[in-house]
Amino acid sequence: MKTNLNGILTLFLALVVQLAFAQQRTISGTVTDQDGLPLPGVNILVKGTALGTQTDFDGNYSILGSTGQVLLFTYIGQKNVTRTIGTSNIIDIQMTEDAQALEEVVVTAVGITRSEKGLGYNVQTVDAEAISTKPNADVVNSLSGATSGVQIVNSSGEAGASTFITIRGSASITGNNQPLFVVNGLPIASGGGSSGTGGVNTSSRSIDINPDDIASVSVLKGGAATALYGVRAANGAIIITTKSGKNLNAKKIEVHSSMGIDVISQVPGRQKKYSQGSGGTWSGGNAASWGAPIAELEYDGDSSYKWDPNGRLVPKGTGNGMPAKAYDVYDFFQHGTVSNNSVSISNGNEQGDYFFSLSNRDQEGIVPNNKYGRTTVRLNANTNISDNIKFGADMAYTNSRAVQIQKGSNVSGIMLGLLRTATTFDNSAGYEFADGSQRNYRNGGGYDNPYWIANNIRFDEDVNRFTGGINLNVKFTDHLSLTYNTGIDWYNRRYVDQFKINSRGNPRGYLGEYMNFNSVFNSDLLLNYRNDITDNLDISLTIGNNYYSTNSKFLFGDATGLEIPDFYQLNNTSANTTSTGTSRSRTMAIFADLQLSYDDMIYLGLTGRNDWATTMPENNNSAFYPSASLGFVFTEIDGLKNNSILSFGKLRASAATTANIAPAYQTTNNFVSAGTADGWTDGVEFPYAGQTGFAVSSGLGNPDLKHETQDSWEVGADLRFLNSRLGVDFTYFNNNNTDLLMDVPIAASSGFTSVFLNAASMESKGIEISLNATPIKTKDFQWDFVANYTEFSNIVTKLADGVDNIFLGGFTTPQVRAVVGEEYRSIFGEDWYRDENGNVIINDDPTDNFRDGYPMTNTSQGLVPIGNFNPDWTANMTNTLTYKNLSLSFLIDVKSGGVMYNGTAFAMNFFGVHERTENREVYYTADGSIDFDRTPKENIVVMDGVYGHIDSDGNVVSNGTKNVTPVVQDQAWFQGNGSNFGGGPSSAAMEPADWVRLRDLTVAYNFKKLSPLIKDAQIYFSGRNLWIDTPYTGIDPETNLGGATNAQGMDYFNSPGTRSYTMGLKFTF
Amino acid sequence: MKKTNNNIFKNLMAVIGILLVSVSCNNWIDHDLNIDPDSPADVPMSLLLPAIQQSMGYNLVGNNTVRTNNIWMQHFDGTDRQSYTETRYQLTPADVNNVWSSIYTEMMMNSTIIINKARIEGAASPNFEGVGQVLLATSLGITTDLFGSIPYTEAFKGSENVLSPSYDSQESIYNTIFSLLDKALANLDNSANTIAVEGDVIYDGDLNKWKKAANSIKARHHLQLSGVNGNAAYTAALAAVSGGFTSNADDMLVPFEDKNRNPIYQFMEERTDIRMGATLIDMLAANDDPRLPFYAEEDSDGNFSGSTPGGQNDGASKPGSDIAAFDASTKLMTYSELKFIEAEARLALGQPGAQEAYEAAVAASVLRVTGAANQAWLDANINGIPVTLENIITQKYIDGVATNQPYADWRRTGFPALNIAEGAVIPNIPTRFPYAQSELDYNSENVPSVSISDKLWWDQ
Repeated sequence: MKTNLNGILTLFLALVVQLAFAQQRTISGTVTDQDGLPLPGVNILVKGTALGTQTDFDGNYSILGSTGQVLLFTYIGQKNVTRTIGTSNIIDIQMTEDAQALEEVVVTAVGITRSEKGLGYNVQTVDAEAISTKPNADVVNSLSGATSGVQIVNSSGEAGASTFITIRGSASITGNNQPLFVVNGLPIASGGGSSGTGGVNTSSRSIDINPDDIASVSVLKGGAATALYGVRAANGAIIITTKSGKNLNAKKIEVHSSMGIDVISQVPGRQKKYSQGSGGTWSGGNAASWGAPIAELEYDGDSSYKWDPNGRLVPKGTGNGMPAKAYDVYDFFQHGTVSNNSVSISNGNEQGDYFFSLSNRDQEGIVPNNKYGRTTVRLNANTNISDNIKFGADMAYTNSRAVQIQKGSNVSGIMLGLLRTATTFDNSAGYEFADGSQRNYRNGGGYDNPYWIANNIRFDEDVNRFTGGINLNVKFTDHLSLTYNTGIDWYNRRYVDQFKINSRGNPRGYLGEYMNFNSVFNSDLLLNYRNDITDNLDISLTIGNNYYSTNSKFLFGDATGLEIPDFYQLNNTSANTTSTGTSRSRTMAIFADLQLSYDDMIYLGLTGRNDWATTMPENNNSAFYPSASLGFVFTEIDGLKNNSILSFGKLRASAATTANIAPAYQTTNNFVSAGTADGWTDGVEFPYAGQTGFAVSSGLGNPDLKHETQDSWEVGADLRFLNSRLGVDFTYFNNNNTDLLMDVPIAASSGFTSVFLNAASMESKGIEISLNATPIKTKDFQWDFVANYTEFSNIVTKLADGVDNIFLGGFTTPQVRAVVGEEYRSIFGEDWYRDENGNVIINDDPTDNFRDGYPMTNTSQGLVPIGNFNPDWTANMTNTLTYKNLSLSFLIDVKSGGVMYNGTAFAMNFFGVHERTENREVYYTADGSIDFDRTPKENIVVMDGVYGHIDSDGNVVSNGTKNVTPVVQDQAWFQGNGSNFGGGPSSAAMEPADWVRLRDLTVAYNFKKLSPLIKDAQIYFSGRNLWIDTPYTGIDPETNLGGATNAQGMDYFNSPGTRSYTMGLKFTF
Repeated sequence: MKKTNNNIFKNLMAVIGILLVSVSCNNWIDHDLNIDPDSPADVPMSLLLPAIQQSMGYNLVGNNTVRTNNIWMQHFDGTDRQSYTETRYQLTPADVNNVWSSIYTEMMMNSTIIINKARIEGAASPNFEGVGQVLLATSLGITTDLFGSIPYTEAFKGSENVLSPSYDSQESIYNTIFSLLDKALANLDNSANTIAVEGDVIYDGDLNKWKKAANSIKARHHLQLSGVNGNAAYTAALAAVSGGFTSNADDMLVPFEDKNRNPIYQFMEERTDIRMGATLIDMLAANDDPRLPFYAEEDSDGNFSGSTPGGQNDGASKPGSDIAAFDASTKLMTYSELKFIEAEARLALGQPGAQEAYEAAVAASVLRVTGAANQAWLDANINGIPVTLENIITQKYIDGVATNQPYADWRRTGFPALNIAEGAVIPNIPTRFPYAQSELDYNSENVPSVSISDKLWWDQ
């Protein structure tokens, strides 16, 4: 024991003490690979000492040593080389590729590491390099475009905005579809950040991870890869391994600083020719901009008109001569700034290792006062108590803090007030009067002035999070070992939601205070047996046990109607309400994992796991999940072995059954605190009139729940050519999800609006192709190319009996639904009247109430499918060009197919502010028809469709003749069927949301030995979304109104996306 | 060293063994964890009652139904956005989802739970049952007058796995209303009561007022059958009137307060898309009606003005304090309405007292709205002017702002005569609400196919 203690002491002393060595001389040299190209980053260690170094970017090294000592050269993928120091001071080394190099080790489920060579399923790994130079706060955004089969949607360009990630489509109808996140073996809380159509966009909890701490990310996609996670396996898993000091053999200090700016990317165009008002007349306070031409107006200079410092607008010649003008509302946005600093120190030797890091990020968004900040501390330490016992602990603390601004469909939403603002109203000319009332373009009504919102409404979020675990590894014999890994993830999330008095949404002021404590406990005990049964047959068996529990509790209080202005305290009101909520669950599992490999050629894996869960009914709380996978490395067959063209080839196949369980409290039906709202207003709640009120929960519980089941299989091939200079990986997958649990909506006349049932089925199947190549590799120049292609369909195959659709999110119209036979997340809305061939009917009946020459909204058929955000396919390409010390890397991301609801533009039409409403000048002849001679040509349009009308029975009557009637898109049209408020169908606002974007571009320059102190230095410039090509006319179509939710494809005054420029410096000491 | 390690192994295994045994499956998988500590399995009737009343006040006679049909009746005009759509007679199944669901899951479901709980043997509380029955009948009445046939016999039975209730005809719903009210009157008279009516925000447990309310609601619905039952309807209505409200103090009102504000107030704060309708405002202004400044705020020019139907005049007066103060009560039934019922029934039957009832109705209305008798104005404009059906319904129309009754009366009597809104998408004012999208989606085998121009059973 004493020896062990000494070992630990030595280890920690090494943190602070630089050991000096005497009687040594400097040995130097160059390390090259088998092609003679310099190898940077080769580890060189003087055996038996803690002395080590690395080669620089030219493969050069120097190290202190004395004659007789042995130098060990190690590098991933190369055979280890040892050289005894003789008389020469120069030792040049040419390393050779290790035949085992293909045996890249990947981390798989439950932390089991496995050679990639034998895997019977697709796993992709993203390494630190691909993450650390990207400017994203949330590491999930840095995975965008890095793999196949993964869909990531960043909900907006706000600082701290949520991100939605799914792998191979969705497995659940209304439940969680985001993958399990595991950090160093500990399943952590992730997700979150979903919201309704209004409110604020809060962060997903994956944002709490410091990207600079990450060594690698394994993306486990299919059922066989995740089967050992049992009831948490159905959505895939993101396995994050943080950095360690293992085998460094020298103290390493890394400093990384970056500064960046964010600017808004694309925004919808606004018309600049017509003033606020209606019917061609200026009218102050009017909601819309259908007023007189701006060129014909000037100010009257009346200072008693409080809504505009320049007075009212009057016809030219009747005012003070100061001409009217259109203001640019987008001046409201600012340049966002990001600064990121991190420092880490690490070391390791045979006795143990440590990695310690500190980081801080501060970000100000494009919307004034929108902020995100994060401070993290991490310590990973391992000590080898003896040759056979290793003990380690890792702990991380994160403080995430954000100030979020109201968004979306919300009278206090930034973009809603901003984009509707009348052309001739200047929001920036004051947002508040001396009496505290608000100055906005609706003369006090309508929507909040965006400046008011940014300055007077805030949502302060603060998360303090601790994750930590200990792990123990005991090697009993060469064949038998035990691993125990247990950890916790605790976080406390608080927010304060403040509305100043006189906001439109909360005219008398509002305060909400929320506190949530969330904990996850996980324990994994694994017993591993490995042996070479015969020369050809290797066996590896793991049996294990898992305990997992979650506990979440929140306390919420709010106060409406603040008595003392600007004093945000729950008691500063005549009445306040409080509520609490609790969610607790536990699971227990036993599992086994058997891996057999024969002759390094055939790899067979079998796993089984049985889970018990508290959230399921007591008599039905157990389920068993098996998986099998087979990898066949056919290039190990004698005739194919050592082929110079096809250097490696593997076929693989796997199948698994995994699952999801019910959330807590779905087995019974209870009473809940009462309250009601009508869909238009905030509503009312309890206490009320001095009473407490309860009502029966409108969701019926179900004591007969079963586990959800996901049966999945995949086949694939991994082929590498020309010494792995070119590689192709192909996967076909099929996930069949059955017994999906959902709140099945039922007719409210039953007294309930939903019942929780195992009701639905959904299928997801598709292909993933990855290609990697190094087309050019010379001494000075290298070109690496990685591409991924994904194509899949995600079809709802069954819903509950009598239910043909499930509401996932959105509005009364349009809304995102799950519908049998349709792609999951189809968008439904009203459509035009159409003939049987799908042509839009253009009204030809002068006697009805519809305008002739225009289409008509079919309100009688209800909502019909009008599109889907899901892409037909996605692809991404990363090219990395390295010339000497300079490297250029860029990622092009393609989304093909998919549409989005551009409700923003549809509403802007109504208000006469969208640029497409600019061509509105029209003249009429004496008989009331359009005067085609005087009306500008560009203002005359012919609506696409066929002539027809609706008869008295509501049926379409059309002879199919193509419409040629010229009409104008005037105020009546845009305040009619040309906009949502006018009664136009949502289908008219669906726009293609394809894109090709330069998602990331990084130029980096690496400095060789800057000084004896600085080993490496890198300066880089990185840009994000520098170029986007999309037919979508609104903001960047990578957006979602509800944030990280299943309802994707909605844009209704979403906050715009950003383009980012970052400059960074990295030093290694 | 080797020996030390062996000891460590032994200790470790012992620790892990203890850990596994102590946290064995049965303890760890504790199903009591799946009981929600924040959600009770049962609650007393006195906590259900105010929730039902709150929902009725907010949703049944609050913003949702009332705003729409008061726009159609031209009390209001929808000047912007969705309200403008309603002005033009567009109302889709999806638009009525919220109110439908409130009616069935909040009001009627919980009323049914009270009725059932009150019958539990050993603690039978007929008084509470009676209150539940009055609330259920009131909800059914307003609902059927908007939707016609609705589920009742098979409704509220989701927990018995009846998920697609059949629809009862409007005639059958009317019979149910009368029968529920008769049972309620008997139950409210029953002195063998265990649990007293508490939590009542309408009458604070005053059983006498509940009896008056039961009779008054009965009168409302008998009168509504005038086109179907002729004089029998008037006779039955009059019989009920005699047991009904006797002053404004009996009004069946749902209160609102600082914390829980009036629904129209909230709508005006958060949406602002309606203004007072020109039809009503012109009617009031023409007579210099003292209720005008209580029904309407001053417009931007300091006058009282209305927006013509479809006129989108957002400079017109906003709803006034009687309708849209934050603490304005919403009205399930009033004494003034009952007096109008009496006046109409007496007039139709040729009985004396029609004139007196009419004058009393208007006087009650003016007093309730303005807080003053305004006797001089009544004498000059109402009293002594011979009563006619048109006078009664027109005054009832003025009195009934922010309730569903003017729409019911207009369909029944055709008064007041209304013009079609500018920009209307159908040639007539809708004569019913569409069924909720949730019924079309999840109860498609039972929900009747209707158009909003169809006429209800009592309107044929």
